[in-house]
Amino acid sequence: MNLFITNNYGILFKFLTLATALSIDLVEANTREINFNRDIRPILSEQCFQCHGPDAATRKGGLRLDTRDGATQNNNGNSAINLINFAKSELLVRITSTDPDSKMPPAESKKKLSKQQIQLLQQWIADGAEYDQHWAFKQPVRPPLPILSLKHKNWARNNIDYFVAEKQEEAVLTPSPESDRATLIRRVSLDLTGIPPTPTELESFISNKDPQAYEHTVDRLLESPHYGERWGRHWLDLARYADSDGYSHDAARSMWPYRDWVIKALNKDIPFDHFIIQQLAGDMLPNATLSQRIATGFHRNTQINTEGGVDREQFRIDSIYDRIATTGETMFGLTFGCAQCHDHKYDPISQVEYYRLFAFFNNADEPRIEAPTDEILFQREITNAKINKLQSKLSGLKTKNINRKSLENELANLKKSQPKLPTTLVMAKRKQSRVTRRFIQGDFTRPGEEVQPGTPAILHAIPKQKKDRLGFAQWVANQNNPLLARVAINRMWQHLFGKGIVETENDFGSQGSPPTHPKLLDWLSVEFMENGWSQKKILRLLVNSATYKQASLLDKKIDKDPSNKWLARQNRLRLDAELVRDVALNASGLLSPKMGGPGVFPPQPEGCMDLGQHRKTWSPSNGEDRYRRAVYTYRWRNTPHPALKVFDAPDGLSACTRRLRSNTPLQALTMMNDPAFIELAMSLANRLMSEADSISKRIHLGFQLCVNRSPNSEELHLITKLVEQQFKEFSLDVSESKALVDQATMIDQAPRKIHNEAEFSAWTMAARVLLNLDETITRE
Amino acid sequence: MGLGSIALSTLINKDSIKAEDNNPFSPSTTHFLPKAKNVIYMFMGGGPSQFELYDWKPELAKRHGNDIPDEFVKGKRFAFMNSTFKQNNKLLGPIKKFNQHGQSGMWFSENIPNIATIADEITMFRTCKTNLFNHAPAKLFMNTGTGIFGRPSMGSWITYGIGSESQSLPGFVVLHSGPRGPRGGAANWASGFLPTTYQGVPLRGSGDPILNLANPIGVTQKRQRDSIDVINQLNLKRLLATGDPEINTRIASYEMAYRMQSSAPELMDISRESKATLDLYGVKPGKPSFANNCLLARRLVQRGTRFVQLYHTNWDSHGGPGETLTKDFDKVTNDIDQASAALIKDLKAHGMLQDTLVIWGGEFGRTPMSEARQTKGRNHHIDAFTMWMAGGGIKPGNIVGTTDEFGFGAIDQECHVHDLHATILHLLGLDHKELTFRFQGRDFRLTDVHGKVIKNALL
Repeated sequence: MNLFITNNYGILFKFLTLATALSIDLVEANTREINFNRDIRPILSEQCFQCHGPDAATRKGGLRLDTRDGATQNNNGNSAINLINFAKSELLVRITSTDPDSKMPPAESKKKLSKQQIQLLQQWIADGAEYDQHWAFKQPVRPPLPILSLKHKNWARNNIDYFVAEKQEEAVLTPSPESDRATLIRRVSLDLTGIPPTPTELESFISNKDPQAYEHTVDRLLESPHYGERWGRHWLDLARYADSDGYSHDAARSMWPYRDWVIKALNKDIPFDHFIIQQLAGDMLPNATLSQRIATGFHRNTQINTEGGVDREQFRIDSIYDRIATTGETMFGLTFGCAQCHDHKYDPISQVEYYRLFAFFNNADEPRIEAPTDEILFQREITNAKINKLQSKLSGLKTKNINRKSLENELANLKKSQPKLPTTLVMAKRKQSRVTRRFIQGDFTRPGEEVQPGTPAILHAIPKQKKDRLGFAQWVANQNNPLLARVAINRMWQHLFGKGIVETENDFGSQGSPPTHPKLLDWLSVEFMENGWSQKKILRLLVNSATYKQASLLDKKIDKDPSNKWLARQNRLRLDAELVRDVALNASGLLSPKMGGPGVFPPQPEGCMDLGQHRKTWSPSNGEDRYRRAVYTYRWRNTPHPALKVFDAPDGLSACTRRLRSNTPLQALTMMNDPAFIELAMSLANRLMSEADSISKRIHLGFQLCVNRSPNSEELHLITKLVEQQFKEFSLDVSESKALVDQATMIDQAPRKIHNEAEFSAWTMAARVLLNLDETITRE
Repeated sequence: MGLGSIALSTLINKDSIKAEDNNPFSPSTTHFLPKAKNVIYMFMGGGPSQFELYDWKPELAKRHGNDIPDEFVKGKRFAFMNSTFKQNNKLLGPIKKFNQHGQSGMWFSENIPNIATIADEITMFRTCKTNLFNHAPAKLFMNTGTGIFGRPSMGSWITYGIGSESQSLPGFVVLHSGPRGPRGGAANWASGFLPTTYQGVPLRGSGDPILNLANPIGVTQKRQRDSIDVINQLNLKRLLATGDPEINTRIASYEMAYRMQSSAPELMDISRESKATLDLYGVKPGKPSFANNCLLARRLVQRGTRFVQLYHTNWDSHGGPGETLTKDFDKVTNDIDQASAALIKDLKAHGMLQDTLVIWGGEFGRTPMSEARQTKGRNHHIDAFTMWMAGGGIKPGNIVGTTDEFGFGAIDQECHVHDLHATILHLLGLDHKELTFRFQGRDFRLTDVHGKVIKNALL
């Protein structure tokens, strides 16, 4: 097996056949009443809409099957669906035809209906061919709590569990037991803040008899400023945040005030609707504050092409395309982008409607503004005061003397040390508005008719007098938007369980997968909106549920529900790229708690900056900045930090709504050999040796720091053996331990005086092993 | 496994599914019998001038200095339209001398005498066409078939489609040479919405060939082995405790990383190559160069790597300083001529050419009109430019497409990037309409909704 490419010849064959299998649910469906959205829409969407769907331009034979009117329309005495005599429905005739000329779907489409699908369509039409609006376009309504068996009732901790248990009962599954205390506190700490518990926190949580201990821990974590760093990073994935322009030159840009705005906004738990409004149109709010203007950086995270010879208008338009696509994916779970060149093939969004959305974004300017932080302003005030004092002193001195000269020098130096005001990219309302036209086939050199700002007819209405970017933002964040809350809830779920309730987190449309727990999704969405759009409140609910707290161990249940659709266990998840570093930093004792400010430069191997057009430099930060959380690492789009990239951090080229979790040899090389990781292993070795005095105690501490539990006897034995063997070998070959210690000294991680070189080297090897464990980089 | 639920997803658990045993999907065939098993793609960054290399235009020479007829340029957009290319409709005759070579009588300029010697091995595509005329977007287009970010590159699609045969080297490797890296950087070899496993791995000409390949200071090979043994034993215990097959993959990853630590240096060690081979390419051991990368490409393919992409810069011949069609152009042709030809000859000598598709070309070509900078150069041109391919089922000594008298556009058989992509996939046994990945509810393809196989380029 090749682990780079865990794939071989013809893999796609298999997937193609799988894709047509659609869903096991269909088998069950035959015994149930037909539900249009569950049973029929997926078939029509996959098999028919490409030619008989919302796209008018490519519609064949004038027939559309995405609306009941279209499907039942009389066409020269024929109708696709004949409500009076269902057997005469042309649709049924065609799908069962053996004549290749009339068979549907046609052979060249490579689409094929299964027997079950044909039966379902027959039954549906016989029952009267009732259509139903696609679930995602219907306003969520709070469903009543399901009635449970006593067993599940006792298991439930809050309302979430009722909905999960209902599905488990249907699938004849029982939930897993609650995770052990150590796993639980590690899981919830990593999920909410990205930093594992300290040994003291761990110990006190395990021994705490208070039945509310877990809930209190959750409250503490949600109040931690590290919460904003953890959940802010999730948002930055969607915002395609990076610190450079992309494209050819990939010039540096100052954008970190936006990144810090996101982190602060999450820590303050700004209501999610306001969070959205500020990012789309904060600049247009009455008396907009600096902070609200900075928020509009969300849509300034598009790339900028500064290469010679470009047509700026072309790339301005490309940025708007990106903004529409990103807005669609992140706030609606809809693929608006599909309607750029033609009507959407599957969802009811026309090309004209796409350009109506375009019009909202078309009348913005894209300036850069000064965005001073309080800290910088404070520093400037101090410097200014000093400058003023000196100047008045100078003006008091009449003659030119030595004293004056030195004061002048001092003044010049002070002026030089005055911290510069940072800048950030924002949106601003444009004074002279642009006319928006539809672009034929999405080609900006082919403008069509003029288009006014507006929203897709399938969604809630926008007030007439509010058709500017602010009105659009308020429309997006409106309670009547059937999608915003659902999409946001689904992502929170995805972050805590590895997979959303709607698995296709960026496509809630006709082609997306339906929610596994539709009632739960709606219940949470309503709860979210009715509780002031507080993300912290929802997260508190989620992590306090019995569903969340279950053990992640895989046992025989896996045979019944291999993809864990019914959540009868938690999922083990490899940590996000940033956390892989943060967890090691934390264990090593080097992690700096400093928040915010310009991007920092943790060490990376030489030569990584040569892979773009310009050879850029990466001078590793020193002092505290060397050990900051990875959310603060400088992000070049063309030459991303390799240790982040190798663990699937997004590249900032387009919105990332879900990170993949790869598992590759390059990751192993990074964790074993990257000097940046060795640096942390050395620091961890020092820490173990100075904080504990026996081999066994040191290994215990190492386990607590890396995996938040004590080692069992086998684990203890394996590491002990390694330390002893390494100590012996390093003692025999002094040159190796000397080289290692020299290296440590160079980067300020020299062994403390009391330890000899061989001992330090041996513990560095042990620390390295601990940092490399699968468990260390996994949330169990 | 719950196949239905997998099919409906965008394969979040694909890797973990595979991890349960070696490969539960383990298939054995492509869509049809492949001609090529591997690809070596010499990407000429900056846009080489076809008029100084391959597309001999006597009429252009004759009409040098005259205006190009209006109907050619009317309504066309070019780069630098508002600056150095504002009113440039003056034709620029070929600057280099041309001669015919091989049995097919293909034309080559004096600048590439070595490439001229493989005339009878290649198919020359004279009418390549692309959509975008700025470097970074055009590179993205050539690699991913679109100017939109977030889509997989060709190398990712191919390794996704047919996997890799190497047990200890990445399946998709990127090397670069020349004064600058390719514009756009990592986006050019990104895996887009495909699993990140399929992204290109840059191999470096100096230092560790693969990042972090060397053991840390003080760690001997034995110490590395002993450490990995402990890591894997501890991981194995965790596997037994949790039952999570992902840990199995992690264990295998550490083993493969260890194997790479010896196989990658072995790959890079060209000292065992004969002097004749080194001379054939023009490799100077220890000196990073395009020649060196060509030799490494052959060695990579020999060792099972599926897709190798060699970037070489800089072909951007606007006429400004460092970009002249004279001295600077001569330098870059000198960088690549011998090695490009040597790669074909060497692959052939090793019996590998028939399985290995070699591609040579840039992101676009140059205009027949001159661009007036400090010296006369040529602007970016997307309507017709030349690429060539060899081996892997490509018809030798063959020319596809004809350009008009000025070489501005195709008068016979346009070969759009989508068609080139369809053809490349076809040679690898993949139907470009069938190689799909479901993302955001839609089956995406390298060729999107376009592309037709260029049949007269095939053996």
